[in-house]
Parts: sequence; structure tokens; C-alpha cells
Amino acid sequence: MASKKSLHIESSGQLCIYCGACVGICPLNCIYLDETRITFDEKVCTRCEICVKACPVGAIEID
Amino acid sequence: MPDLKTDVLVIGGGPAGSMTAKWAAKAGARVLLLEKRQEIGSPVRCGEGMSKDWLPEVGITPGRWINVEVEGARIFSPSEKVFEINEKHAGNEVGYVVERDEFDKQLAIDAANAGVEVKLKTAAVALLKDGGRIVGAKVKEFGQTYEVRAPVTIGADGFESQIGRWAGLPTNIAVRDMDTCLQYRMTNVDCDARYCDFFLGKVAPGGYVWVFPKADGLANVGIGVQVSQVENPADARTYLDRWIEHHPGYAKGKKIDMVGGGVSISPPLKQTVADGIMLVGDAARMIDPLTGGGIANGCIAGKICGTVAAEAVLSGDASKEFLQKYEKGWRVRLEEKLYRNWLAKEKLVTLSDATFDKIIDALSGVRLEKLSVHNILRAVRDKYPEVTKEFEAFL
Repeated sequence: MASKKSLHIESSGQLCIYCGACVGICPLNCIYLDETRITFDEKVCTRCEICVKACPVGAIEID
Repeated sequence: MPDLKTDVLVIGGGPAGSMTAKWAAKAGARVLLLEKRQEIGSPVRCGEGMSKDWLPEVGITPGRWINVEVEGARIFSPSEKVFEINEKHAGNEVGYVVERDEFDKQLAIDAANAGVEVKLKTAAVALLKDGGRIVGAKVKEFGQTYEVRAPVTIGADGFESQIGRWAGLPTNIAVRDMDTCLQYRMTNVDCDARYCDFFLGKVAPGGYVWVFPKADGLANVGIGVQVSQVENPADARTYLDRWIEHHPGYAKGKKIDMVGGGVSISPPLKQTVADGIMLVGDAARMIDPLTGGGIANGCIAGKICGTVAAEAVLSGDASKEFLQKYEKGWRVRLEEKLYRNWLAKEKLVTLSDATFDKIIDALSGVRLEKLSVHNILRAVRDKYPEVTKEFEAFL
């Protein structure tokens, strides 16, 4: 099985503004926002990259 | 923490949640309103422009949350021809520019004064289910987990709504039905406090740049870009920064605040109720797909939602069938316009800058008696007959 691409959500605050755009658009509901952190479910995520486009400040990277 | 019981559990303390809670309490229900953050209304994630003609309908009185009362809107084409619309005709983002945190707090105060219990720093972490019906939520208050049982639960948890998804309601949106947004509060800018300004075309693919004045020299300068039109990460920021750079009256300004967020620009949802649960506001994708404005629709639907919630509790029937009264009620009031504006949005996204220029140019030279799609197209046809060919479906 081919390994998934790596997805990185920069939510230490250097880029992320905790706006929730990625959370709302994720078709699999696998991105979670609390006050100071955004996380995603590595197993559920299919790397569809929609969150990468939805992020207004470019805090989500995939490679 | 012991478990709690209430009649109506409202999850989310934004305008739609507070409005729903208030009207449910006024109609005789015991209501608990949950806000996951420590402060209602903060952080603000909003352009802060809104219309005002609907306020009496839902019982909101003007207060100190109003910054500026504007005369109208100015629509700028890509080559910056201007079309002015007075406030009455300008759609649901023009009328007042507001302090959203003050506005949200006022609505929560109105709800509390109507008898609603409010809990801060309290997030829903799961829905309670009994067979297929929703009977409340598991919540976490200051780190303590407990259950709140209620015959009616309401998801007013905004764009990134979890409640609808947990309840199995179809709230997913397509990438062409969402805008990614970024806004700066800027001082020392040449805004005109009499107008909310909108800039159309490739400056903001699938959306627009807005300038909403907060005071002389102070404005919210923001952008929405349709997610399906995004080519590179951070395009919202790139496009907004480019627009500011190309406008000397704004390039000289200073940024004092930044907010971002997602805005749904989708057609109305097929279903917003199930057994024991209703969705309202942004969580129910009630945002106007043309303007991106959600406050008015959320509050109007909130009044209907709260009233029906109380009726359901008092009659002992919170079934999906009973809650259809809300489903039908908000659709009668809002659905036709939401759908029509979604179609218009779908069309506008396809227009070239040259077409936008012609449309705004044709409109700038006429005084429309009434702002309707039909009147707009007639004015355009008189000057640029070839342009109206693109709009035959609307005529």
C-alpha cells in the first residue's frame, strides 16, 4: 500500500489564526479545533487537500 | 458535576443561538445556552456589516453596538467604475457597521433577561442518543464532563458546526460553495464613512473585497475568495495584500487586527431537523450566498426555531415530524431568496472583468427605481446588448 502524503497543520500560532475554515470544509470531519490547537485524524484523512485551499493564511502544508 | 436536565439545550452563543434561546424562553421553555469560549462575541470573525430593516421583526433594539449607520453601498468594477445603491436596496450587509462582540453580548443579555441560563467555557463534546433520537449532549465545563438531557437540542455552532454532523444531518459543502476570508482592521485609511464598498472581479476570484467603515479613517478591509478558485496556499491573504498595495488610500494605512474564517455560499440545506434536534444560523448554512451575510438570516430563523422548540417541549412532541414546523417556517421566510442568490453567485463567478466593467458602467449612468435583477438587466441591455445574452436565464 502506498504511504499517504504528509499533511502538516501549523497550529503553534506562527501561521494559524484559529479561524476554523479547515474544520468547516473538511468532508470527513477529521480536523478538530480547540482554543489553541488544531489537530487532524491521521487515519481518517485522505489528503484531499481541500483544507489546504480553504486556509486563508497558508498554515496547512502537504507534501 | 451532576448531570442536568432542561427543556431546550442551545449549543453556541452567537446571534442565532442567543436569538433561539430568547424566543424559546419567552414561549415558556426552560433553556440552557452553552458557549464554548470564556466570552460571548469574542473573538470577532466578521466583516461587521449588516442590514437593519429586519431588527424589529426579531425584537432587537438599536444600542451601543452600532458604529456607523451608512447611506448605502458602492459597487466597484475591476476598472473601478462605480454603481451606488442606497441602503434600502443593498442587500443584507448594508445598513449598520457594528461592533460584533457588543452585538453578540447584547443578544445574550436579552436571552438571559428572558430567563435563559447561560454557561461559558462549556463545549458540547458528543450528542446523547436514545434509539435514533437526540436527547441532549455530553458537555465539558471547565474541564468537567457531564450530561445535559433535553427533549430539544439546537445546533447553533457556526460554520465549523459539529452538531449537525454528529446528528447525521447533511451539512457538508462543496468547495465552490465556500469562501475563504481574511480581513484587517485598518487605521489611517481613506474610507468614506457613508458607504460600504465592494470591489468585484479578479481582485477576489469568486468573491469580493470589502471596505466597511468603522469610523472616519478606520475600516474593516477584507476579502472572500471562493475555495474552488484558490490556486496557491494563502491566496486570500495574497489577493488582499495585493489589493491594498494597489490602493494608495489603503496602502498608507496601518493594520491593527486580523481575522479569518470560512463562509458558506451554498444553496439551502435539504434538511435541518431530525428527531429531537434542529440546526440554525451558519450551522444550517443560512448565509446569503451572494453577500456572505449571515446575521439577519440566523436571527430570523432563530426566532422561528426558538418558538417551535418551546412548542415542541410544551406539547411533549419533539419528533422530526413536529419540528417540520421550523423547517417549513424558515424556508417560507428565507429559502427562495437563498436559492435565487446562490444561482446569481454561480453566474457571477463565471463573468470576466470586462463584463463586470460593462455591467457596472451601464448601471452607473442610470437611476433605478427599484433594484431588481430584471431592472438591472434592462439597464445593461440598453447600453451593452451583447452582455445580457449571458443572462437570458434570469430574464
